[in-house]
Amino acid sequence: MTTEPEQHPVNGLDDVVHQRVRLGILTVAHQARRVEFGFLRTALGLTAGNLSQHLAVLEKAGLIQVEKGYEGKRARTWLSLTPAGGRALQDEVTQLKRLIQQIEQGSSAPES
Amino acid sequence: MTDASVPSQGTPHEVLAGLGDLTRRVRAAQRGTWFPLLLLGALTLGGILVSRFTFEVLTVPCPAGDAATGGGCTLYRQGSPVYWPIGLALAYAATAFFYIRRTRNRGVGTPVRPYVLTGIALVGLVTATAFWSFRHGLVRPGDPVDLLGLRLDPTSGATQFLERLAGNATAVGLPLLVLSWVERSRALLLLTVVYLAIELVPLTTGWAGISATSPWSALPRFGVPGLLLLLGALGFRLAELRDRRDVS
Repeated sequence: MTTEPEQHPVNGLDDVVHQRVRLGILTVAHQARRVEFGFLRTALGLTAGNLSQHLAVLEKAGLIQVEKGYEGKRARTWLSLTPAGGRALQDEVTQLKRLIQQIEQGSSAPES
Repeated sequence: MTDASVPSQGTPHEVLAGLGDLTRRVRAAQRGTWFPLLLLGALTLGGILVSRFTFEVLTVPCPAGDAATGGGCTLYRQGSPVYWPIGLALAYAATAFFYIRRTRNRGVGTPVRPYVLTGIALVGLVTATAFWSFRHGLVRPGDPVDLLGLRLDPTSGATQFLERLAGNATAVGLPLLVLSWVERSRALLLLTVVYLAIELVPLTTGWAGISATSPWSALPRFGVPGLLLLLGALGFRLAELRDRRDVS
């Protein structure tokens, strides 16, 4: 009987999530539960156009939910993490930790 | 803020460190600890005045074994049965309103719901316990303490501890523990532990030079925790202003 070789953590990284800005968006949304576009733009130091593009990618992937509305005359956009987004962020962090573990084990292993 | 806020595209270590930094910034923006501490501190200090103006000296029949006194026993009563339940319920409602406004103004959600719900539930429990104890009127000296059906010896140390526990330690201290957990604040955890110690340790009024039968006897009992809460509010407010200055 043969056993499947364990997958390298790099292969477990999701390209949609691993992009640094999108990872930042998911992290902020996870901590805040509900976050407004303006706060996110300031927190991540992005332009409105750049942030909108990344939000569109995440929304299309079903990782965030976007709500648009008004407070008085002011248009506001709120976003929150979907359950899939929460899982994707958790997976990403787990893979990053596994990568770190592998790197540390590799650097401490004796050379043959 | 600069683009440095975005997690760096470096090693996994750097990416995780960047996410940790981002999480800390969001938590700092979510915190509004000074406001509930300010309300609770003011309410606690207000308890001194309420106790002063509701102070009464009553003469009640003595317990059976104490009949020699003839003229009855003197009982000192102070405090309003509605001050704490209504005051605390209003404080929790105001805290919820404050955090909702803060969410709208800052654009970032706050995890305050568990704190407010725990606070209101425990105020209900403490009030129910107090009304149960006094449902047949004033407890006479020597009578057993009725704590939700348990008839306890009033002179026992365990009963006195339970009486202290079934007060502000539960209605104020335990919700503050929940707030320190949801806000991931070690400073608030430390403050709450000190607060609980003050509430639960048996303190007499003698050290303050105030007799237990004085109309001002509640001053040390409410003054010490009240000042602690207000000092905590001041400290958290100053820390918040410093953080905002550093970010801008």
